[in-house]
Amino acid sequence: MNKQEFLAALSRKLNGLPEDDLQRSLDYYREMLADRTEEGLSEEEAVAALGSVEQIAAQILEANPGSRTKRRLSAWEIVLLILGAPLWLPLLIAAASIVLSAYIVIWSGVLVLYSLAVSLAATAFAGIVCALPLFCQGEVAVGLLYLGLGLIGAGLTAPAFWGCNCIAKGLVRLTGWVFRKLLRRESK
Amino acid sequence: MDVQMKRGLLDVCVLAAIKDEASYGYRIIKDMKPYVDISESTLYPILRRLEAARFLTVQSAEHNGRLRKYYHITPLGLARIEAFREEWDELLSVYRFVTREDGKHE
Repeated sequence: MNKQEFLAALSRKLNGLPEDDLQRSLDYYREMLADRTEEGLSEEEAVAALGSVEQIAAQILEANPGSRTKRRLSAWEIVLLILGAPLWLPLLIAAASIVLSAYIVIWSGVLVLYSLAVSLAATAFAGIVCALPLFCQGEVAVGLLYLGLGLIGAGLTAPAFWGCNCIAKGLVRLTGWVFRKLLRRESK
Repeated sequence: MDVQMKRGLLDVCVLAAIKDEASYGYRIIKDMKPYVDISESTLYPILRRLEAARFLTVQSAEHNGRLRKYYHITPLGLARIEAFREEWDELLSVYRFVTREDGKHE
């Protein structure tokens, strides 16, 4: 085995170790190999002098409490998982459905806010449009009322939509943040 | 020899190897060789342990175009060596007593 192969093999065996512990270990052995080859040994001889990769990896992992190689499930654990599926799978689906429904409810709330904004726009439209025939009929006071309401609606429409957009964007960002947090915990 | 005892002994050996001047992994092994045989894979956890206990510090320095880690002993490390000396002075007294030539033996 040459230096690259050795370091690659060691890196593979140390999979699961925190990144800087892994790098430190590799640096150490890289340095050891470099020192030996500097003294005249060939790469192959230097690697052979270090001993087996298994043993070295075992020693490093042993000295590193709480670092477990990414749970490669044993055959036994896989069997249990499959056998238990009728139990945990429906529960998982139920839990996921509840979370999803709650999420949809929140978005429906946003939808309600949007409909409010739309009704403001409709008021604006209706008020202004209906005011015209009233003026023509001579109903100035009522016409002015309609026009006034319509203009208020028109004025409030833009801010209402802007507010809804902010809330919607905020909700999307919140969702993204929650997802990222969950994913980070998974990979730890 | 008791595993724990051996581990403690190797720890203090490594400290002694860097006592007078900072050294690097491969040289520590070579310096210890006439007295104690130690492999690279044994040395590595010892160095990590000593660093965690602040008995030594690590600094990278350039050597032949690559970075080499040099281990420097700390005052705490020197105190550890001193404590070891005292422990063993005591042990030697006990040893001398236990193996003394008993003139009054029947």
